[in-house]
Amino acid sequence: MDLTAPGTRVAVNARARAGTRGWPPAAAVLLGALMSMFGLSWDVQWHSDVGPDTFFTLPHLLLYTGSAVAGVAALVVVLRTTAAQRAGRSVDPAVGGHAIGVFGRTFAAPVAYLVTGTAAATFLLYGLWDQWWHSLYGFDATIDSPPHIGLLLAISTTIIGSLMAFAAARAERWGRIGVLVSLALLVAFFTITSLAFQDADGAFDAVDTSIAFTTVLLLVVAVSYFRRPGAALLAGGAVAALQAVLWVFTPWATYTYADAVGLPVRDYVDRVPGLPSLIPMSLLGVALLLEGALRVARASGWSARVVAPLCGAVATALVAALAPLQRTLLFDAPLPEFGYVAPTAIVALVLGALAGLLGWRFGLTLRAIAPTTAEEA
Amino acid sequence: MRTRTTVAALLATATLLGTSAQPAAAYEPVNVVHTERVQAGPYGITVGFSTWPVRAMQSLDFTFAPDGGIEGRTGTVRQELVGADEHKTRKLARHPRKLEVWGMDIASLDTPGTWTMTFAVDGPDGRGEGVLPNLEVLEQPGPPLALSWAVATLPLLGLITFLTIAWRRTRPSREELSAV
Repeated sequence: MDLTAPGTRVAVNARARAGTRGWPPAAAVLLGALMSMFGLSWDVQWHSDVGPDTFFTLPHLLLYTGSAVAGVAALVVVLRTTAAQRAGRSVDPAVGGHAIGVFGRTFAAPVAYLVTGTAAATFLLYGLWDQWWHSLYGFDATIDSPPHIGLLLAISTTIIGSLMAFAAARAERWGRIGVLVSLALLVAFFTITSLAFQDADGAFDAVDTSIAFTTVLLLVVAVSYFRRPGAALLAGGAVAALQAVLWVFTPWATYTYADAVGLPVRDYVDRVPGLPSLIPMSLLGVALLLEGALRVARASGWSARVVAPLCGAVATALVAALAPLQRTLLFDAPLPEFGYVAPTAIVALVLGALAGLLGWRFGLTLRAIAPTTAEEA
Repeated sequence: MRTRTTVAALLATATLLGTSAQPAAAYEPVNVVHTERVQAGPYGITVGFSTWPVRAMQSLDFTFAPDGGIEGRTGTVRQELVGADEHKTRKLARHPRKLEVWGMDIASLDTPGTWTMTFAVDGPDGRGEGVLPNLEVLEQPGPPLALSWAVATLPLLGLITFLTIAWRRTRPSREELSAV
């Protein structure tokens, strides 16, 4: 697998080819990811506010169809790429990145679609495991069962495939927009996957720390990938926009569906959208602070090797420390004591440095998926 | 032309997937297989279980049917593991699939051991409290949880492996690594 080559500037003349060939499959994968995202948010709300479960509920269908759409799109691209390579035609690396040989050289799979397709197949396997789990444990009493976490990780990887497919078309406006939307989806999706830690006992809040870590890591990916002022704010804005849309969609879909099938809403529900309320609302403010810090760093000529972990640490600590305040505002929950918030912020500070380092490097890895000038010539 | 064909094929697939399975509007009735009686002051309550015996982590329907119905009555139920700091108190809400009684659907007790269920009911006859003692919860079914979690994290391990390979094979320039 060769993800890079000397020099990573994207040729302007790549636009015509990538523009026509690249966007349909990337858009199909993104559509699948969006379906999974909205299906999951709907499903979570359905369980908490209405209740009855069968496999064949509309939110489940949306969730499962999302992965199917992404998987089929990836399969189509892999088959087309394989056919093109066998026929001796050139394969455009702006469509999902460089092709990798799979099962020897039986298939040629652009790296973004290899990730997407593998993730969709994994989702299917974990879906089967989830069915078996239900036969042992009954319907889902909790979101954080092992098969569910496997399923959520598989969908997250599908969204990473979407991110890569758009990143390969960085020269295109649709490529850059797709990267932002995919990053926002990943931020939102990792919040619910972080609930895997909700039973962890300890001196700090592992869920808040995990959400802050992944959120800031992805924010730094945006900065490092776009390499221009305003990237963090744009990513933060994309997350806020997704949160706003989910905030409206989730209760609307839940109560409309309940009405349609003649089921009442549970007694005593608080009606706050569950999944959207997990997404850090502090992100826009933190992104603004990050933009300010990066501006100072640019003017002072500081190295990203220092700035990325430093900014990552402070941003992660801020997001983690402000999470309890968000719960207080939304759910009227009591504020936890300083003795609980402080250890969480300290752990987040340490892990945040790692989030900054990893985010910066992953952003550059993502840039390298796009074809270089030499490849496009 | 090819692009249009691909888009059409994808749309057709999505439409087929979205419409082929009709959402089921019918939900299974609550099937109570075991009952216990609790006296909460003046209120007699029949506690129903859809699975018996109860096993840790296995979800079931609980029904709480006060004699004379739920109309004009409110209350709470507290589930507590004896000898441990594991408890949860909920308001007594209607069971979503059996609206004439209180209950909990798709609920589980996650730790094996002896549990108690304490009811506090307010109604026309005042306030009453009563306890269902010695609710034995057996060990969880299925493989050990550690093994299940190991399988659950395989996609994460796969992702980390992929990212590590991608990291090692990507050579960003010195300028990209250091310039903000």
